[in-house]
Amino acid sequence: MARPAPRDWYKDAVFYEVHVKAFMDGNGDGVGDFAGLIERLDYVQELGVDCLWILPMYPSPLRDDGYDIADFYGIHPSYGTVQDFQKFLDAAHARGLRVIADLVMNHTSDQHPWFQASRSGPTSTFADYYVWSPTDHRFRDARVIFVDTEKSNWTLDPARGEYYWHRFFSHQPDLNYDNPAVRRSMLDVMRFWLDRGLDGFRCDAVPYLVEREGTNCENLPETHAILKEFRAVIDREYGGARVLLAEANQWPEDVRPYFGDGDEFHMAFNFPLMPRLYLGLRLEDSRPITDIFTQMPPIPSACQWGLFLRNHDELTLEMVTNEERAFMYYAYAYERDMKLNLGIRRRLAPLMDGDRRRVELLNCLLLTLPGSPIIYYGDEIGMGDNVALGDRDGVRTPMQWSRDRNAGFSRSDADRLYLPVIADPVYGYEAVNVAAQARQPSSLLNVMRRLLAARRTSPVFGRGTIEFLRPRNSRVLAYFRRLEDEALLIVVNLSAAPQPVELDLAAFAGAVPTEMLGGTTFPPIGKGPYFLSLGPHGFYWFRLELQGDRPYGIERTAI
Amino acid sequence: MTAESAAALPPDVERQLESLIPADIAVSVPTYNNAATISKVVEAVRAGLEKHFEGVPAVLINTDAGSSDATTERLGEAGLPLVRAIHPAPPGQLATVPFHGVPGRGASIQLSLGVARRLRAKALVVLEADAVSIDHEWLERLARPVLERGADLVLPVHARHRYDGTMTNLVLAPLVGALFGRRLHHPFAGARAMSARLLDHLAELPWPLPGRGETDLWVTGTAIAADFAVREARLGPWRVESNTRVTDLPTMVAQTLGAVFALMDGYEDLWHRPAASVPMPAEGAAPPPPGVPGRIDPERMLDAFRRGLSDLGTIWEQVLAPETWGDVLSLESEEPARFRFPDELWARAVYDFAVGHHHHVVYHDHLLRSFVPLYLGRTAAFVLATRARDAEAAEAALDTTAAAFEEQKPYLVDRW
Repeated sequence: MARPAPRDWYKDAVFYEVHVKAFMDGNGDGVGDFAGLIERLDYVQELGVDCLWILPMYPSPLRDDGYDIADFYGIHPSYGTVQDFQKFLDAAHARGLRVIADLVMNHTSDQHPWFQASRSGPTSTFADYYVWSPTDHRFRDARVIFVDTEKSNWTLDPARGEYYWHRFFSHQPDLNYDNPAVRRSMLDVMRFWLDRGLDGFRCDAVPYLVEREGTNCENLPETHAILKEFRAVIDREYGGARVLLAEANQWPEDVRPYFGDGDEFHMAFNFPLMPRLYLGLRLEDSRPITDIFTQMPPIPSACQWGLFLRNHDELTLEMVTNEERAFMYYAYAYERDMKLNLGIRRRLAPLMDGDRRRVELLNCLLLTLPGSPIIYYGDEIGMGDNVALGDRDGVRTPMQWSRDRNAGFSRSDADRLYLPVIADPVYGYEAVNVAAQARQPSSLLNVMRRLLAARRTSPVFGRGTIEFLRPRNSRVLAYFRRLEDEALLIVVNLSAAPQPVELDLAAFAGAVPTEMLGGTTFPPIGKGPYFLSLGPHGFYWFRLELQGDRPYGIERTAI
Repeated sequence: MTAESAAALPPDVERQLESLIPADIAVSVPTYNNAATISKVVEAVRAGLEKHFEGVPAVLINTDAGSSDATTERLGEAGLPLVRAIHPAPPGQLATVPFHGVPGRGASIQLSLGVARRLRAKALVVLEADAVSIDHEWLERLARPVLERGADLVLPVHARHRYDGTMTNLVLAPLVGALFGRRLHHPFAGARAMSARLLDHLAELPWPLPGRGETDLWVTGTAIAADFAVREARLGPWRVESNTRVTDLPTMVAQTLGAVFALMDGYEDLWHRPAASVPMPAEGAAPPPPGVPGRIDPERMLDAFRRGLSDLGTIWEQVLAPETWGDVLSLESEEPARFRFPDELWARAVYDFAVGHHHHVVYHDHLLRSFVPLYLGRTAAFVLATRARDAEAAEAALDTTAAAFEEQKPYLVDRW
């Protein structure tokens, strides 16, 4: 279906998060690359997503899976060259797919030439590119984020004889954004990729750009000022259709400023909502989900939330209360290995114990709540994880294309793969793969394609308001999505048992609900309660055909 | 909260002024894409000047928010001496134009004031570019009290059907009246006249931020607080033809009520005193009220109120004081035909919303929009109580409402 391409295309888009190394190996060296990714673009297009989000693709010692960038202007040799990237980008655009890429603005690898030069001492051109201090006593109010591996935000560099600042791993020194040269350098990096046609950036770890004594060094006004400056330059030079997506893992009121007045980020991840979807499902109670929306600040009309169920990191539980976190660990991380930092390092399907109905239900929420959904590669076929692998590698294993050798991912020997394929009897590639699911009409893959296709039929999903109904049965979550005169009704059974529900749809009396996935027309809505019954973890997407809203009679002259 | 006042005029405006100074009457028409209606308004200005102020030097001021249609060309057609100025407007308001029709209206008013002072005008009259019911008498009734009878601020009283302006009559007017200690029929009217004395006074003060909606209200409150002579003038029906003004009820409610609340937050000195009730002296004879409006549906308003009780309970519970919340809940059981909303409870509920806004109990936009079903409930009660009776009974009911807001003001001050 041909769709118009407005400047705010990201409000209607579904994103697909892909790790180049994990998707397809084109040259048989055991590591995915851009040549392989090009081969699989047809699959991405047929899935029905709009924009690829590529995890860091730059040269890197890979001590943090590429988030430790050693050269902002290159492509990691395992993935190809800048020319290969260009071919990929052009091939994606030719299919109507857009591409955004990760950009780590806060820090670099300690192998980056800027840092190496900076280490040589205060006389270097790059001396002030990083945050140096003779002591480790500054900025003591800043928390340590990777509590499992790092003891301090300062590490002594023996070469320079000073401490350098790092909010993440000690091999990732923070750039010094108080230095105008750093800001200019980062803008040049962005221009380099935007000039090639990239549609935007997913900006990693943005709350930490600037440090100030006596603060927690997160979300500072100085940081926002820099981000606004970047946005203004990109809007001015690239015409306003390139998107900036913020990773700010913060509480709602702290995320809100990243949208500015519509002049900072176009999008930000909705971190607080995500764990509450799991919580609501596990408790079989709609309230954790509805409650978080009353705490959700309104955002500027040109902005959009990015919604996700899982990503390449652990399922982060920083944005829940201690009590909620304890319950989440109890429910979803019953083995010690499954926890990491303040989160759970598992994929969607195993988190749901492989229960298809629950996986589909969470995807239903992902696609129908306000925001642009982001699907993590492999979750559309229900791939599993491998908690025996270290850090977050367990959720970054090769894509499972078929039951061929190496899951169809690579022609190399199995022991040359960057990570082993999942081979357990439940989620292993012989049981879970694209080739098999593509042939089976009822597979998760085909259900996902149908849900995504249904979502494309209405702009309400990406742009409409949300209004929760309050049915007496709190195991059922129900909400209207509305945009101008179009209205949708989503009804979701969070329970594993069948549930009846009475909905007050009187506002739509006279309207006829049409179920969007099957096209079935339901009985018209009357003045009284509307009865529905839902199977275990079942859901309905209704389009409400309005017969003209009856006015109150006072609205035109109310003021 | 406030921006600097007395900003210098843009150089191109200064150039236009050189040949026009002085003028006794300055008539300002703020515009934004009003090509369809502007000629009618300008013609009424021309006729008003000719009939009532012959020989009095007058200048038309056009402040424009960046029209992309033929508005500014049509303004020139009347052949009046003209000063044009373009003012900035927040991008959000250009996309979704506020209820009053002028993106960045604060900036527009401030600019008009600057121009009028440079013209050494004795009266600045502000008119709406899309109010098509205007005739030549409007200018006379607004300007004459300023020019000849010592008035400093003249606000319009429009002849309206008793069920027109329910948001104004049941919420904004009683609330603003109690705050400022003086009853006003139409505190959000877009038309008004101001004296040179008042303009000079305002020019010395820091103004509200220009992108916000409370500027007109701030002008009125400031004039009352500083004991300027404030009057009302009867102007006949008020009919607007606009393709740009927002018409969505929740947005209008949020913008107007939000403006009052923002003023309360930023300018406590304007309202933190006892509410005295002094009705404004009105100029001109009362015209007959216009005909019956379209079908009013109080039952549907009640449905919306009841849905609010079930859907917005979690928000109202946080905003309303426990006793108010309990009283509001008890309204639900009433039969539709007997549904009443006591004025004293209504005043407390509105004040609770003001306090909730002040203390950021929930996000401002959530709070303001959640007010809509309450307002619909109160409006339904007003219609049900008065629909079998005459216009005077409706007028009396509104007086009682205004009095309740005045009586309950100590409750507001206590909870603030």
